[in-house]
Amino acid sequence: MKRVILLAAASALATGAHAADRTKFEFWYGLTGDLGEVMAKHCQLFNESQDKYEAVCVGQGGYDKAEQNTIAAYRAKQHPTIVQIYDAGTVNFMLSGAIYPANKFAVDYGIDIDWKGYFPSIANYYATSTGEMWSFPYNSSSAVFYWNKDAWAKIGKSAAPASWSEFAEDLKAMKAAGVECGFAFDFDTWMNLEQFSATNNLPIASMDNGYGGLGAELVFNKTAFVDHMKDFKAWLDAGYARIQTAQVGKNLVQSFADGSCASTITSIANHGTVHNTQVAGLNWDVAMMPVIDPAKRTNSLVGGASLWVMEGKSKEEYEAAAAFLKYVTAPDTGEKYIAENTGYIPVTTKGYELLKAEGFYADPKRANRDIAIASLTASDVTPVSRGIRLGNFTSIRAEIRAELEAAFTGQKDMQVAIDAAVERGNQILRRYEQTFKGAALP
Amino acid sequence: MIERTPILDFMTHVLLVVSFVALLMPMWIVFVAATHDFHTVNQVPMPLMPGSHLFENLAAAWERGNFGRVMVNSLTVALGVTGGKIVIAALSAFSIVYFRYRLRMLMFWLIFITLMLPLEVRIVPTYAVAADALRPFQGMLDFAGFSIDLPEWNLLNSYSGLILPLIATATGTFLYRQFFLTVPDELTEAAKMDGAGPVRFFLEVLMPLSKTNMAALATIMFVWSWNQYLWPLLVVTDHQNYATATMQLQKIVPGPLFGEPPVWNVAMAANLIVMFPPVLVTILLQRWFVRGLIQTDK
Amino acid sequence: MEKRATFSNLWLAAALIAPQMLLIFVFFYWPSGEALYWAVTLEPPFGGDNEWVGLLNFQTVFEDPKYWNSVRISITFAFFATALSLGVAAVLALFVDRRLPGHQIYKFTFFLPYALAAPAVGLAFRFIFSPDAGFVSAINRLYPDLWNPALDGYDAFALIVMAQAWTMVGYNFIFFLAALQSIPRTVNEASAIDGAGVLRRMWDIQLPLIAPTLFFLIVINITDSFVNSFGIVDITTAGGPARATDLMVYKIYVDGFQGKDYSLAAAQSIVLMVLIVVLTFIQFRYIERRVHYS
Repeated sequence: MKRVILLAAASALATGAHAADRTKFEFWYGLTGDLGEVMAKHCQLFNESQDKYEAVCVGQGGYDKAEQNTIAAYRAKQHPTIVQIYDAGTVNFMLSGAIYPANKFAVDYGIDIDWKGYFPSIANYYATSTGEMWSFPYNSSSAVFYWNKDAWAKIGKSAAPASWSEFAEDLKAMKAAGVECGFAFDFDTWMNLEQFSATNNLPIASMDNGYGGLGAELVFNKTAFVDHMKDFKAWLDAGYARIQTAQVGKNLVQSFADGSCASTITSIANHGTVHNTQVAGLNWDVAMMPVIDPAKRTNSLVGGASLWVMEGKSKEEYEAAAAFLKYVTAPDTGEKYIAENTGYIPVTTKGYELLKAEGFYADPKRANRDIAIASLTASDVTPVSRGIRLGNFTSIRAEIRAELEAAFTGQKDMQVAIDAAVERGNQILRRYEQTFKGAALP
Repeated sequence: MIERTPILDFMTHVLLVVSFVALLMPMWIVFVAATHDFHTVNQVPMPLMPGSHLFENLAAAWERGNFGRVMVNSLTVALGVTGGKIVIAALSAFSIVYFRYRLRMLMFWLIFITLMLPLEVRIVPTYAVAADALRPFQGMLDFAGFSIDLPEWNLLNSYSGLILPLIATATGTFLYRQFFLTVPDELTEAAKMDGAGPVRFFLEVLMPLSKTNMAALATIMFVWSWNQYLWPLLVVTDHQNYATATMQLQKIVPGPLFGEPPVWNVAMAANLIVMFPPVLVTILLQRWFVRGLIQTDK
Repeated sequence: MEKRATFSNLWLAAALIAPQMLLIFVFFYWPSGEALYWAVTLEPPFGGDNEWVGLLNFQTVFEDPKYWNSVRISITFAFFATALSLGVAAVLALFVDRRLPGHQIYKFTFFLPYALAAPAVGLAFRFIFSPDAGFVSAINRLYPDLWNPALDGYDAFALIVMAQAWTMVGYNFIFFLAALQSIPRTVNEASAIDGAGVLRRMWDIQLPLIAPTLFFLIVINITDSFVNSFGIVDITTAGGPARATDLMVYKIYVDGFQGKDYSLAAAQSIVLMVLIVVLTFIQFRYIERRVHYS
């Protein structure tokens, strides 16, 4: 025992001495589990790649905890230099006054970034209304349609449905052909509302989904979203589709990977998970989400997280942070590393080209994974497909989910439920507006 | 055994065995999950019989969680909290029960109310206190109009930061109060007749009587502090030196994020590792649960 | 409850209680005071200018019909979870205390649920209670849709009650057992000689003798099911379906911890605290009266 402690002390001293002449800075991240390991490894690779700087990378045990702890630390002036914040936290950070905008930081500390190189739908999601990027896109994904080729073969089709009406017919035909569950869905608003609205160019809120200012109001109770949900309900009642959540025992990914449901819509980041957990012989592929009118498809939304630089640190720390950001966002040491070790996708054209050139997508395990990029770049970014910039969106999502649950369990009519979600969501937005009275959304 | 009651004995066994199964079933699932490989554990339904990968999962979990190091930290923290709480709670309950002063009910309620607001709600200002424990006093001085600057006492990344705030809760005080109230007044009177002051009465009469309750409290407090993770996550950024076991567990457990591959097998193996010390402590402390130590004449 | 025999050295009394008061002042009251002050302001997450809004936050809370729903659910939840876990734990402790062969094994295994860390509880419960995959799936095959916590609010509610009760059984068991162990053997034996059967002795002798512990556990369990249950909700039902398990503390967690609406969370916390204090006060007033100490 004593020896162990001595050894530990000795090694601590050794690394301490070694690290003393390096500039240290802290980086907090929210990813956990295997993805958290990938993050930690990324830091380690950076630290090994040079001997001037040392990134001290601290996992916070979840996206929400990472945001919460950063806020707490910032208020006590103990915050990290860089932090990974999920999409839903973007607006809080933009309004915080606690950050060093990425575009300004890159100029000040000489990070040569081709801002135009980011896929427009990714760049726009994290940019201010005037198009300035305030954070560095990092782990990114989008929603895609996962489909079981054998199930579709039963109805004589070999391609995924491109439109929702075609999908409805397929579901009916598959049921007749003996497919027990044609489609698995849950109450997550990211796929059902947000991606649906983006790909069909439908607004979720006024003022360009909130990009225009904090006065935005939710409007999705007046769009095709209502009929879309009514369709889901009809499919559920007809036995074409099933609700699959963790509470039922199998979530979307599990019910698709074990072959019990013929299709689902979920993040491209699950591509690897399906491969690793699927039943033997499952013959499947991914495609872009169906849309109402395939001729008018617009881009889907990015999901995931970006890296924010916090204000109030020393010049030395910022130099170290700049070196780190350069390393983890570069096509080869950044994007490629992330794409190879997770289901996330490259975020710049350069990164994508690099992966293609190296035959990344030729590997059958990753076949078609770049469909997510096709989906993200399906059109020019429109004012409503660029993203969602709404205050306290976490709580709005919770309200929508609760109302959808009420509708799908037959407690409420769909239109009534969605109207209620909009009304309650608007109250949340008004509170947020009042809390930030006087602050203008950049 | 006082009498023979074969039917009741049989029923007792049935009841205990049924409860054993019901209470331990979730544990069994954790164990089974820890014995399969990644693919099997993610099958639906997961098998109910153990597989053959226990040791490789344990090894993987041990390495990923750096458990060799963090177990020592957790042990330090859990023992610190348990010891501190047993002592502080006993003292304060003694004060509340055995002394008569006007503020004692107020004191009791002040202590008691600390159970009513979870850390999640007060996390932001609590962090500020952890960053400077003298902050409340500074705040009071400022409020009173004094311009005295107290030094900063930063508890982040330290054992005191991990231990002290966890001692500051009410369960122990309340438990001791309940127990002290059952101690017959005759004992106090007798002690006073013998000329024993409060300190001697506390040490020589009250403490020996409290043994079983103390053991129960120690068991609960050890496990409770061992399983804390939100507070350590906040206070510790130097994971190399101060991470606790449950923090590591949180890192290995897959979160509800998009694209998170569910490595339940390793996560549950880590859980087995993390659970081991509390279980061991429980078994050891059970020795104190000996009936009939008190011979009072009621 | 008063002691007849007390000591009179007030300086000593103050010194004894001082460490506890100091700790709770620094780590509880000061930060809580700051957090609760936000209830009368609109506090931006990163600090800065907060506006005094009086009772607006409370008005927002009270005018929301969903909030009253949440209050009702929380009270029901606390009642059922407490009754279930205390009932089971008391019965188990009484029977283990009979010291039949094998009781040593139960002594520490019944405690194990409490030793399990939260993420494992989540996995286990999902597995056991999922209508598609777990043990309950067998029942569902016989009676389709009898159990579906994802869609049926009552099922989901039953699920969180069982989960909370299950984790607390180990906790309650330990304290019950400790209390039973400190009853002098002679008391029980004397009663047996008087001809009282085992069950009668449990009811007439043992339970009244451990009443102080029972009271302690009632208070602690009720408080805990109000204050610390959001973890259970978060990993099993996330408040659904359709707010059927939207406990007050879970709402606070979602609004404050996740949504960063600190002011709304502070207002709700105050309401929750007042509710628990009142409930606890009632318990001290009316239940403790029936508890016989020495």
